[in-house]
Amino acid sequence: MVHMVEGVVSAPVIAGCTALAAAGVGYGLTKLKADDMPKAAVVGAAFFVASLIHVPVGPSSAHLLANGLMGLLLGWSALPAMAVALLLQAAFFGFGGVTTLGVNLVLIGLPAIIVHHLFRDLVTRGRSAWAAGFACGALAIALSALGAAGALAASGAAFVPAAKLVVLAHLPVMAVEGVVTAAAVSLLARVKPDALWTRPAPQPVPAVGSNA
Amino acid sequence: MRTLPLITALAILLLALTAAPSAWAHKIKLFATVEGTTITGTVYVPGGGRVSGAEVTAAGPDGAALGTAVTDAEGRFSLEATRRVDHLLEVDTGDGHRATFRVTAAQLPPTLPGPKGAPASAKAAPAAETQPAQDTAAPAMSEAALEAVVARAVAAQVNPLREQMAAREDRLRLQDVLGGLGWIMGVTGIGFFLLARRERKRGGG
Repeated sequence: MVHMVEGVVSAPVIAGCTALAAAGVGYGLTKLKADDMPKAAVVGAAFFVASLIHVPVGPSSAHLLANGLMGLLLGWSALPAMAVALLLQAAFFGFGGVTTLGVNLVLIGLPAIIVHHLFRDLVTRGRSAWAAGFACGALAIALSALGAAGALAASGAAFVPAAKLVVLAHLPVMAVEGVVTAAAVSLLARVKPDALWTRPAPQPVPAVGSNA
Repeated sequence: MRTLPLITALAILLLALTAAPSAWAHKIKLFATVEGTTITGTVYVPGGGRVSGAEVTAAGPDGAALGTAVTDAEGRFSLEATRRVDHLLEVDTGDGHRATFRVTAAQLPPTLPGPKGAPASAKAAPAAETQPAQDTAAPAMSEAALEAVVARAVAAQVNPLREQMAAREDRLRLQDVLGGLGWIMGVTGIGFFLLARRERKRGGG
């Protein structure tokens, strides 16, 4: 379970993560340009609903996160969008909680930023889009699961059993999320390649017929 | 439109979601009912399986431990209540899942002793058990025994209803999803408004 519920993580972890998350959101807001806003909203909405897609794991089930895709498409501006989406998930679905919002933002958002920096240049090369998309989605989940185990360990649980539980539960999710991210990325690479460049190539295109 | 493919993709995703027969909140849930002095319940994943081997702890309103139980393969557990106080049941599976459930004192039979600080109510209960039996020998059952029978019969009727209500709460409703998406649009709108105002100010100054 990557969304930490209230009462599982200790107060110092919550405080530290909340500070880190607030800094990240602030930085992300400075990176969020008006042109990227619709993209951020749509990807944020996809993130919001992706958590409803469940992958059965033994008796339990885990859900998709879409944080890899979100990070890849949005970069740092994924964080403010994610903060809104996480708050709404807590309010509407009971995933996580309001006080653990910062913890969840770090656990889910940090991997998004990491895969963004790792994969943004690979993905744009058309043919490798599928492989890079898969790795991006799967790695983001793995990092989130490890982070969740770390947060539990920092709150007093033993790291190894917690990590085993969380990571094992997320192995099928990694596979499914990898496929979904790969499909989305390769589709975007074909249909709308410019969506994959968060920082468009510096070509001074004059705004034609728009008031942007 | 540059964003059209993205919007189409989102629309498809949404359609797939609404067509899916079960959209469940992902968390574990704890549910318990009372029969006599026994609290029985299950730990489960809504829409999924049962959680076995999880330790359920019960605490009183003052935080004092009232007992623990471990769920079996079916996710069931049972606890004997020894006091007529609110039982706050809690389960923590160690992987970030945690659930609580409150069994109120009113659900427990009055024959149990009350909270530690108030022994008066504890005495009242056994008294009710013995006295009426002496006063009126006519009814075959003592009042307390009758009460216990009625309580059991009511519990048998009410407990399935409680279960149904809990199950209804577990279901995610489409309006929640749509409401969330509406919020995202609204927040985006506010973002555009703020940006536009900043742009206008910059343009003016």
